[in-house]
Amino acid sequence: MSRAERAGRNPPKGGTPTLPDASAAGVASPAESSWMPMLNPLTIKQLQRFRSIKRGYYSAIILAAALVLSLGAELVVNSRALVVHYQGDLIFPTYGDVIPGRMFGLDYDYETNYRELKRLFRERDEGDWVLMPPVPYDALENDLTPGTYPPDPPSFANSHYLGTDSTGRDVLARLVYGFRLAFGFAAILLACNYVIGITLGCAMGFWGGAFDLLFQRLIEILNNVPFLYVIMIVASIVVQNFWTLLAVMVMFGWTQMTWYMRTSTYKEKSREYVLAARAMGASSPRMVASHILPNTISVIVTFIPFSIAGAITTLTALDYLGFGLPPPTPSWGELLQQGTNHLESPWIVTSVVVAMVLVLLMVTYVGEAIREAFDPKKFTYYE
Amino acid sequence: MVDELCQGALSFHSQMRHDMIHAACSPPPITMTSYFVRRFLLIAPTFIGVTILVFVLTRLVPGGPIERMLQEAAMAGGDFTSATSGFDGHGGSTLSDEQIEELKVYYGFDKPVLVAYVEWLGKVLVLDLGTSTRYNDPVWDTIRDRFPISIFYGVATLILTYGVCIPLGIVKAIRHRTAFDNVSSALVFFGYAIPSYIVGIALLTAFAANLDWFPLGGFVSDNFDSLSAPGKAIDVLWHATLPLLAYMAGAFAVTTMLMKNSLMDNLAADYVRTAIAKGMDFRRAVFGHALRNSLIPIATSFGNIITLFLTGSFLIEKIFNIDGFGLLAFESLVERDYPVVMGALVLSSLLFLIGNILSDICVALVDPRVKFGSGESAQ
Repeated sequence: MSRAERAGRNPPKGGTPTLPDASAAGVASPAESSWMPMLNPLTIKQLQRFRSIKRGYYSAIILAAALVLSLGAELVVNSRALVVHYQGDLIFPTYGDVIPGRMFGLDYDYETNYRELKRLFRERDEGDWVLMPPVPYDALENDLTPGTYPPDPPSFANSHYLGTDSTGRDVLARLVYGFRLAFGFAAILLACNYVIGITLGCAMGFWGGAFDLLFQRLIEILNNVPFLYVIMIVASIVVQNFWTLLAVMVMFGWTQMTWYMRTSTYKEKSREYVLAARAMGASSPRMVASHILPNTISVIVTFIPFSIAGAITTLTALDYLGFGLPPPTPSWGELLQQGTNHLESPWIVTSVVVAMVLVLLMVTYVGEAIREAFDPKKFTYYE
Repeated sequence: MVDELCQGALSFHSQMRHDMIHAACSPPPITMTSYFVRRFLLIAPTFIGVTILVFVLTRLVPGGPIERMLQEAAMAGGDFTSATSGFDGHGGSTLSDEQIEELKVYYGFDKPVLVAYVEWLGKVLVLDLGTSTRYNDPVWDTIRDRFPISIFYGVATLILTYGVCIPLGIVKAIRHRTAFDNVSSALVFFGYAIPSYIVGIALLTAFAANLDWFPLGGFVSDNFDSLSAPGKAIDVLWHATLPLLAYMAGAFAVTTMLMKNSLMDNLAADYVRTAIAKGMDFRRAVFGHALRNSLIPIATSFGNIITLFLTGSFLIEKIFNIDGFGLLAFESLVERDYPVVMGALVLSSLLFLIGNILSDICVALVDPRVKFGSGESAQ
């Protein structure tokens, strides 16, 4: 495979390298070589451009808010009470050990059913009270109403705002915890893929030669393996959990970033400023780390949102096919599967499809905005 | 197997191809023919790499075909023997150890992995893909049975995609920043952000389950044979509408934007400006000059047409219960029918590798500026 590039043409996707003059200024000004890369004028300009793209900017804010909220999901969606006022004491059961029912004068040793407790306190009317989260269910408990078979339709009276699934679990609770899990998974996957991809891609582009050729073949092979096949095969060897699934996905996911990094390292390597650094006696690690990498950062940043969207899509598809995270892990794909198996209960499939569309649209809006902010190339068009 | 799990894979490959295309300038150039011959020769190591990886993995899996047979035999035998022999820990294993050995020899499970792989490869070279453990038919026949359905969807998706995307891209480029462009951009963006299986599930829920306008799945109705010829055609189309929309959603966005952007690039190029300055009307400048050059990027994916009858994604085939190639591959994996798994892999990876090269040949044919191959020697 060959790599000299025709001057002036950029890859179709994935951001142009930053303008040579601006990036040179960003790298070389010793006055700001402190730990304030944010003050780099180029970065400031990019941030301003990003903020000016309203659609992407607001999507980013909403997504960030949703993520922060989901990190504290136990306070919003939980079967444990937020606060219990019992015989003059205030108890906060959300985090920490299981509080047995006996604590509150009930006759069992397993975890207190706070919804029951709330009803009980209200009946007794002795000044005790329970404050439940807005959605008083967690993602794993089955809330079976006597006399009906799940799935139950949405109901405000029961606080099942999006209904229940086929085993009586709250759909909203599973959506929220599934969202957190999917994003966590995507973030760790991203970190692994990018660390491997950036290291290896830089090495391939910088060293070239036999090393490059060897990994090129490996990447070609991995790209031709039907990756879902392998995941399903691995799923039948070991009991699939979060980390094995992650390992397999990293095994096939690192190639993309590696390829992009290889290409852009190769391009940057032939620029004059690298030659200048070499002429001044810079070592190879120094050339890569402090000259080439900062100039490829736009490629990396531009790809992050799309990698996140891809990871969520893949994880959901795997869960949908039944080869993802093991049950009863709350996941969107598992909800999708239930939804398509229970088309007569449209609230399940509607909830998860709407959630998925919203999240993916917002992630892609952010991605487009970042791409535009980092790649100021405007389309010239004929007027 | 091309499925949207590898979303981005397509654009990824076109990126790789792009690198190769742009590889052109350094001397000494070797001829295009020898470049493509070398590309074809490189298929062999890649193919071996892919198959050996999956072959070894299938060997590692517990619950292969023999275990499955034993299980079935135990279940079937259990009814007969349980009353008389009781439960003696061996279950109802009705097969003797010798029989099991024979089965292992029959399926080639008695040899070390690499020996078995070489034997398997030898058979593949004489076009023998083995026998399905599930259907007891030759693998090739099992796969071939699915071709008509997959080809139908492949051809229909192809025609619809190019038939819609190219004109749409042209109109969007000419009417850039008009209301039409903005509205269609929103649609295109939607198709880009949402994976096609989600679109498929949404369509199925809305139009098949709720509104009852379309069937819930399958390729044809149960009473297909009794229908008249036009009735048959309508029946197929009626079943195909929703899956085709889902397939379209995936390919639609990328191709449309590719068309639009490349036409806009060309419209801004000097030669179009010159043509207009010399008095050519805008219409002829677009269709006579700019369009021809803008179609070049579209050609980069044209060679992959030969993977047409394998493009059925098993997600969409599973959602709509279409008995195509994708669903066959999926089910054979679930059922541990490894000869079919390997057969499907052989076919899809070969076609994919060849398709990539054909795409490059297409590019070289439509764009005489492109010269492949000189960079390879520069390494």
